[in-house]
Amino acid sequence: MPVAAPAVVLSGVTRVFGVIPALVRADLRVERGDTLLIRGANGAGKSTLLRIIATAISPTYGSGTVLGMDLVARREEIRRRTELLGHRTRLYEDLSARENLRFTCSLYGLETRTLEDVLERVGLTEVAGERVRGYSQGMRQRVAVARALIRMPALLLLDEPYSGLDTEAKEVVDRAVLDAQRAGRTVILATHDLTRGGMATRTIFMDGGRILPQLPTPSQT
Amino acid sequence: MSLLRQTALIAAKDLRVEVRGRYALGAVLPFAGTLLIAFGLSLGPGRTLLQETAPGLLWLAVLFASVLSFRQAYQSESEDGAIEGLLLAPVDRAAIFFGKAIAVVAALLVMEVVVVPMVAGLFGLSLGREPLTLAATFVLGTIGLGAVGSLFGVLTESPRAREAVFPLLVLPLATPVLVAGVKATSLAVGGRGGEAGSWLGLLVAFDLVFMAAGTLVFGFLLED
Repeated sequence: MPVAAPAVVLSGVTRVFGVIPALVRADLRVERGDTLLIRGANGAGKSTLLRIIATAISPTYGSGTVLGMDLVARREEIRRRTELLGHRTRLYEDLSARENLRFTCSLYGLETRTLEDVLERVGLTEVAGERVRGYSQGMRQRVAVARALIRMPALLLLDEPYSGLDTEAKEVVDRAVLDAQRAGRTVILATHDLTRGGMATRTIFMDGGRILPQLPTPSQT
Repeated sequence: MSLLRQTALIAAKDLRVEVRGRYALGAVLPFAGTLLIAFGLSLGPGRTLLQETAPGLLWLAVLFASVLSFRQAYQSESEDGAIEGLLLAPVDRAAIFFGKAIAVVAALLVMEVVVVPMVAGLFGLSLGREPLTLAATFVLGTIGLGAVGSLFGVLTESPRAREAVFPLLVLPLATPVLVAGVKATSLAVGGRGGEAGSWLGLLVAFDLVFMAAGTLVFGFLLED
């Protein structure tokens, strides 16, 4: 039986914005089914790393594969099988949660049968018909979680998903991660919230755009 | 999913956002109407002068309204990073380009249906002499503006760029539409629609060039 390629393999990946290096020679290997926790302060390079893996941006130097596919040459296929859930929830403000999710289903050619069930799981059934513009950050993040649950990607990337959320909304995010774990999917979670991430199977630390080779000092976490 | 279906999905989504936000009716239409009334007042009561300048003023109003419409169309994409959702979705880049263009063209055509008769009433223009030529001029011209706006709107994700850069990019490029639109409209309202063929041809050529450019280039502009 063929062995599945690792979920993520990065080799010497560097990303420079203008003259500022946001990610420096990152080497990373994440096995399928792993839940990787990335810790680091703001500006450590966590978001850049996740956005490169999601193919939202390209590496300036270096190479890599995601789900066995080349990061640059096969980015369209990678995008079909990954979901990036960030602090920007990528919703249309003048559409309702339900309409936003229906639009996602249409784009990805997904059935909408599970939509109401997912809305209930994230606790949005009552307000799903209202415009997102009136939602709190926590409610928006729940819609983004619902989108991830509907898509059920092979690789779920979460970039500071707890920012600005109340405890209940944080638990919705945690449940989504646990669901993905149970389904054998790979999860990469970047957060500086030290109270979260207990479900991780492995933790790495970043600082100044670099993945640290060893445990950092307390000030770096 | 076919390019046509993807285009329809994106256009329908943009039109729904437009209908919900009522930007065309609530902001763009009053802007165009006020602009035309201000033009009329500044030129004074001379009927001949008003009639001669009306096509130019009308197309200027349409041009400025299209800039406003596209700024709004792309603002809804950038407000919460929604454009990244489109970028990461398995959607043909050409479908995003066409979908956004179609939605804004539809909104602008609705606006023109209101504004053109208003100008006819204010400036004493006759719309009934060559209605087909007039309609073709506005449809073709608006498609051209839609193609330019959709293509360059994607560059203006940041609010500052949207305010400053977008008009600087679009207004010079839209000059052929402005010139051909004004000429063909003048001929149509003057009852000489038969002479407008070359100007309509210019509009068709402009539309084709920018639709082709959009199909080829939009993906590169959208990607990192």
